[in-house]
Amino acid sequence: MVLPPVAVVAVFIGFPVGAAIAYTLGRAGGPNSTVALLAQRQHIVHHGVTTAAYREVLGNPHVRADLWATVWVTLVTIVVVVLLSWAIGLYLRLSDTRISRIVSALSVIPLFIPVVIASYAILTFYASQGFIKTLAYHLGWHSFPTLGYTLTAVAIGEIWVNVPFGVLMMSSGLNSVPNALIEAARDSGASLPRTVRSVLLPMNVIPTVIVATFTGIYVLGSFTVPYLTGPSAPNLMGVSMANFFSAFNQPQQAEVMAMIVFVLAVGIGTIYVWANVRASKRASITS
Amino acid sequence: MTDAQTPAGLLIDRVSKDLGGRTIVSDMQLEVHAGELTCLLGPSGCGKTTTLRMIGGFLQPDAGAILIDGSDISRLPPEKRPTAMVFQNYALWPHMTVFKNVSFGLRLRKLPKAEIRERVENVLELVGLTHHIHSYPARISGGEQQRVALARALVLEPKVLLLDEPLSNLDAKLRVRVREDIREIQQRIGITTIFVTHDQDEALSLSDRIAVMSGGRVEQYADPRTLYRHPATHFVASFVGAMNFYTGTLGGDGFRLAGGAQVPVDSLSSRTPGEYEIGVRPEDVTVSSNGDGGAEASVVREIQRGHYKELVLDVGGDEMRAFVAPDLPAVDRLRVRFSRGVLYRDGVLQEQSESPVAVR
Repeated sequence: MVLPPVAVVAVFIGFPVGAAIAYTLGRAGGPNSTVALLAQRQHIVHHGVTTAAYREVLGNPHVRADLWATVWVTLVTIVVVVLLSWAIGLYLRLSDTRISRIVSALSVIPLFIPVVIASYAILTFYASQGFIKTLAYHLGWHSFPTLGYTLTAVAIGEIWVNVPFGVLMMSSGLNSVPNALIEAARDSGASLPRTVRSVLLPMNVIPTVIVATFTGIYVLGSFTVPYLTGPSAPNLMGVSMANFFSAFNQPQQAEVMAMIVFVLAVGIGTIYVWANVRASKRASITS
Repeated sequence: MTDAQTPAGLLIDRVSKDLGGRTIVSDMQLEVHAGELTCLLGPSGCGKTTTLRMIGGFLQPDAGAILIDGSDISRLPPEKRPTAMVFQNYALWPHMTVFKNVSFGLRLRKLPKAEIRERVENVLELVGLTHHIHSYPARISGGEQQRVALARALVLEPKVLLLDEPLSNLDAKLRVRVREDIREIQQRIGITTIFVTHDQDEALSLSDRIAVMSGGRVEQYADPRTLYRHPATHFVASFVGAMNFYTGTLGGDGFRLAGGAQVPVDSLSSRTPGEYEIGVRPEDVTVSSNGDGGAEASVVREIQRGHYKELVLDVGGDEMRAFVAPDLPAVDRLRVRFSRGVLYRDGVLQEQSESPVAVR
């Protein structure tokens, strides 16, 4: 029964990944022979493996700057998305007014807007002649910074794209906590903030971890938002990879960078798996 | 309103509440003495839970006031009220052990650790759960969860304990045991308690007084015996216990049912002749197989109920239910009389203060 899906994964994901790993380690034969025929600045060995491509990429200060930019934008996005999702999710959970229903509807709208369009909108909004800057100018703040084509704009774009998923996740997690559990805490003398800390927070660790890890992995692999809204350099690894692959015709270096991003993603994935295992262990105690 | 000798533990003073455009509680007046256990009894939607939630602070009354020991608490949030609630589904926090659940309120009050430990252990001993102090709620049975919820409420030493249908999720046998436990604990610590239920059995066996509610109003507020023997309205009579109802005429020689049968009555709430609705408990229907002077009845069905037998009778076309001794021999025909009946006009009890009178 599991053979067909395993076979699909092996053929369409496992095999290309294996070939890419071999290529980054200097093996240019077999499935890598065509790309190796055209590529520049390759590090090829015919016996064993070499880490020369890794040393070259990690030794390149521009790539290192891109890596730090990626880590910075990823962390900022994770923190802001988690905080915003919690804030909006909590507001929706604890308030049942017309405004909260409007907020609930508004918060998922970005899901229905293509990323490329949203990126252009963000860019023009924060550009040097954009809305924000114009507004600041009219208000007398002439030195207001231009955010378009900066890593800040990239972070804003990533947050914009990821908040709806975060809100959906947190809302569903928070809504699964019965009212009586919240009321029981209030009844015991807990203020609302204390109720959030002692009841809602510990009961929503898993949705929080899901939001944080999925956002992190999305940002690590994103291309459109940083490509359209970010600076030429340093930019996120996704953009760098595309440059190395097509503009510089250095697919081996691009694949090395992909491996580095993959290692970061595996790190985030490990946190997700660890949290889930811990939760299922807890569930066996608590249910 | 307050009795000078036993000051009201809780006073619900002309409280009203609308929810979603519907009046749920209407001009409600209720006084619960300190240390008393009062049941709010009524069908779904009668306003009993809404009343309880207003006492607990989870809803604000639209009008009127709620007073505990004379001070108005109507506008205080739940965390500032001297009340503690036991919820229908227990509402134990699943990520906390029994100890953490019970000690939560004490930790909020920043009591010394040793005192917290002592008070939690004492209250768990009171509910008989010391051995589960480090268990998670999901690891203990429903009845035990219920007692943890009770311990969590009691440990805060509230002035008023609120119980919202706390036994409805337990199986029949456990329900009886836990309700006896609750009553025993309540009496031992003498805490003013409001108990919401739709189960008349529960209300009759637990309460000092019962407030029967219908349509957001209190129909009758009395001790269980009065409620059962002298139900003030038709609604109370039909909701609390089983009751045969007939419209007919009270005359000198008994009560004439609409179907034409003339049934002698030994004792009645009123003796003034006229048109009435009569309510007769099945145990107040006396049957005899050879007696004279009773109305003729045929036996439609016999239902064994264990310690008694229920007879479904046809009395001149009217159906009548009677509880009789389980060993009464089966017969097809017999004679019936009412040993006791209560009379209603427009749904309201017609009662004379003198001792009840026999009408033959």
